[in-house]
Amino acid sequence: MNDTTYTIPVGPVHPALKEPIELVLNVEGEKIVGVDVICSQVHRGIEWLGMNRNNTVQNIYLSERVCGICNVCHPYCMVMAVEDALGMEVPERANYIRTIVAELERIHSHLLWAGVAAHEIGFDTVFHYSWALREEIMDTIEYVTGNRVTKAIMMVGGVRRDIDKDRRERIEKAMEYYLQHFHKIEDIFLHDKTIKMRTRNTGILTKEDALKLCAVGPLARASGVKKDVRQDMPYGAYAELDMRAITPDMYTGEIVGDVYDRIIVRLLEVKQSVELIKGALENMPSGPILSEKNYVKLLSILKRAEGEGIGRVEAPRGEDIHYVRLEKGKESFLSWKIRAPTYNNVLPWIPMLLGGEIADVPIVAASTDPCMSCLNRVTVVDEDKNKKYEITKDYMHEQSLKKTRRLMRNE
Amino acid sequence: MAMLTEVWKLVFKRPFTNRFPAKYAPKNVHHFLRRVQEGKEKIVPPVPTPPNFRGKIEYDMDKCVGCGLCIKVCPTKAIEFRQCEKAEILHCKEGVKLATPLKIRIYVSRCCFCAQCTEICPKKCLSMSSEFLLANEDKMAKELIVDGLH
Amino acid sequence: MNEIFEIFSAVVGTFVLGAFSILFGLSVKGIDRKISARMQWRIGSPLRQPFRDVRKLLLKESVLPKNAVSWIYNSSPVISLASLLTILLFIPIGSIPALLGGSGDIIVVLYLLIIPSIAIIIGGYSSGSPFSSVGAQREMVLLISYELPLAMVIFTLAWRLNILYPSYSALSFETFQKFPIWNSVSFLGFIGAGIFLIVILLVTTAELAKVPFDIPEAETEIAEGVYVEYSGRNYAMFYLADAVKIVVLSAIIIAIFFPYNLSPLLSQYYPVAPWLGYTIDILFFMFKTIIIAIIAMTFLRTSLARLKIDQIVKVYWFHLFTASLIAMILIALDTMGVF
Repeated sequence: MNDTTYTIPVGPVHPALKEPIELVLNVEGEKIVGVDVICSQVHRGIEWLGMNRNNTVQNIYLSERVCGICNVCHPYCMVMAVEDALGMEVPERANYIRTIVAELERIHSHLLWAGVAAHEIGFDTVFHYSWALREEIMDTIEYVTGNRVTKAIMMVGGVRRDIDKDRRERIEKAMEYYLQHFHKIEDIFLHDKTIKMRTRNTGILTKEDALKLCAVGPLARASGVKKDVRQDMPYGAYAELDMRAITPDMYTGEIVGDVYDRIIVRLLEVKQSVELIKGALENMPSGPILSEKNYVKLLSILKRAEGEGIGRVEAPRGEDIHYVRLEKGKESFLSWKIRAPTYNNVLPWIPMLLGGEIADVPIVAASTDPCMSCLNRVTVVDEDKNKKYEITKDYMHEQSLKKTRRLMRNE
Repeated sequence: MAMLTEVWKLVFKRPFTNRFPAKYAPKNVHHFLRRVQEGKEKIVPPVPTPPNFRGKIEYDMDKCVGCGLCIKVCPTKAIEFRQCEKAEILHCKEGVKLATPLKIRIYVSRCCFCAQCTEICPKKCLSMSSEFLLANEDKMAKELIVDGLH
Repeated sequence: MNEIFEIFSAVVGTFVLGAFSILFGLSVKGIDRKISARMQWRIGSPLRQPFRDVRKLLLKESVLPKNAVSWIYNSSPVISLASLLTILLFIPIGSIPALLGGSGDIIVVLYLLIIPSIAIIIGGYSSGSPFSSVGAQREMVLLISYELPLAMVIFTLAWRLNILYPSYSALSFETFQKFPIWNSVSFLGFIGAGIFLIVILLVTTAELAKVPFDIPEAETEIAEGVYVEYSGRNYAMFYLADAVKIVVLSAIIIAIFFPYNLSPLLSQYYPVAPWLGYTIDILFFMFKTIIIAIIAMTFLRTSLARLKIDQIVKVYWFHLFTASLIAMILIALDTMGVF
């Protein structure tokens, strides 16, 4: 910090950020020389609710509300963790339906992101345009699951709604629509000169940094890390659909790791999702969609269950992990830990922003597709306003050890 | 530079927006609705809801046995028990007796429209309608409390 | 007696012109919003929305930030609006000659055009917020970048006309009005003037701080930048200044490039009463203003993304400067009579 440096606070409330997080930037003119990220502005105590108030079935809908946009990944991940703990088998058809719904959500999330990213660089026409194109997928989701946003389709041991003939036709129609319009989206985003001027060589994340900071999802893939849960640890029906991680060199032949590469990855993933859904619809076997149809029985099974499980799902933003521990006689979880993708993708902001300009902040931050309410898992409450809280690494480590021990002893 | 030409095409296209309830939002919704009822103004219909849409919950009190399973699974605790005011003749082991049965009351303002209660209900007395215009200033408005009486 | 009448008519004219430009500017803003909404595939707000905005802003409280310099902070919106209204006194509108026109009025206008930007810069610095400081810095860079091409356009054309008609005052809108530039040059000069027209349209976009060049405001980056602390009446002033600026800049472009009027053309066929002629010309002027606003403002701001500060400087100092230089050489060749 010298005389020519001054501090700009971006956030907690700022037009560039759709959710509260605080970025403290030290700038020299327009150049960023120091970045600090301050999280935990929207802690909502979801894990606490899941461990103290709700039973497992209620937790499905609670986890749906961890994040409004990823409202299939979180419940999907949670039911996978519970099924893992119960040792419950999921019917084949249910796996396919889950895959289809998850991919529908990926299309919607990526198109939503594309609009937001365009808005961040001041290109409101593209923002409105891509959201208008997104309407088709929203209507499809409404037709398939009964609501535009919250899908409420996951259930421990399967899914709640079947994809019958009508719904299948609706999905196929939407997929045709996107195949037809894909070249237009591609044209707008990848061949527009001003978008390229703003995104090429901005916010570069090298492969080393991506690996070191554990970046996940499209962010990591754009830096050349071929990491995708759907490919590495296939769940649902992905193993049968032969899914491959997408890197930008498939399109341009080189990996730069900048914002433009992230746009490429996301747009190619939209196309990939369309193909995956088409494949899944073709190969979908018939059969039951729930392994335990009787919810009352399911509730009693869940109450008697004991054990722990982990679910891993590739959310549109990256890898999502849920850890669940069940205890006999306790209706709610004994322990529930959510590791949302944004948790990993916030730290790479620092190497991406350093050396950049103030004008890069919105698009670089948006390029990771951050979701703050997914991210925040801890908050520091202090009644005495003047006291400054500082949580050191040692203190954090100590607390973590304590918690692990508490869980191990089932206290 | 796709947008340079695309914008000129879009100018002459019909706007994508659905004009519900009118082209420009009315200043006063109640006033607008009254005028629509009087036939002075036309309301643009909303996008039709698909079959199996999860809208405002409907409750058939007569079928309900008051088992409380819906209360157990409701994630938002929007349902509570309600003692029926009117006594009914109940047939039980000890014979016939007069009692006030247990029913439920649903607060739609808390409902998250997951439809879990409709699926777990053994008597299928709960169902989801396609009504979705539920915005209200008062959380406890009459339209937002479903107890099978109104 | 005659002098008193002149002063009186100037005062009344100023008020009428001020009211006209504010009302017309707000309407152009409304049209701009409507068309840009249609370009974005949506309905958009009704045409009277800018009037509603101003009414609402005037009703609201004007908040003074804690570490603002109050007198500068409060006076800069007024200066900004006042200087823009002053410019209008020097520009002919339709077939009505400028109220304060005369020899060298282009230089006055060029200087007056800088004042609103300076007022915004000073206001931004005085509001004591880091965002508005960054915005003020950016406004300054923007001002420096577009001044060079703007000056080149105006002075080259003035020089060309001066050589052709040495008996008339060179730097005056009256000369431009009398001898439209397109009629005074041959083929090469015509191309040169065409390039200049494109350059000045792009300069207008930056002067108005609209999207590809809206870095001083840059909503998503620095939260409306220079205006971040302004509210209520003060912000309404800036809003009005923005509306008037559209009229002013279009009027300058019209005065230089399209000084044509409809009434002389019409009077060839059948006699036109003077008042009717003025009305037709003013309506034609409004039409031209709207066309220029749509091209320089609406179209560009809907179809391009916001550029970064270094890219903007590059656009103006490299691309547009080169274009102006080529146009200048073309016009010089035209003057020398090479072709």
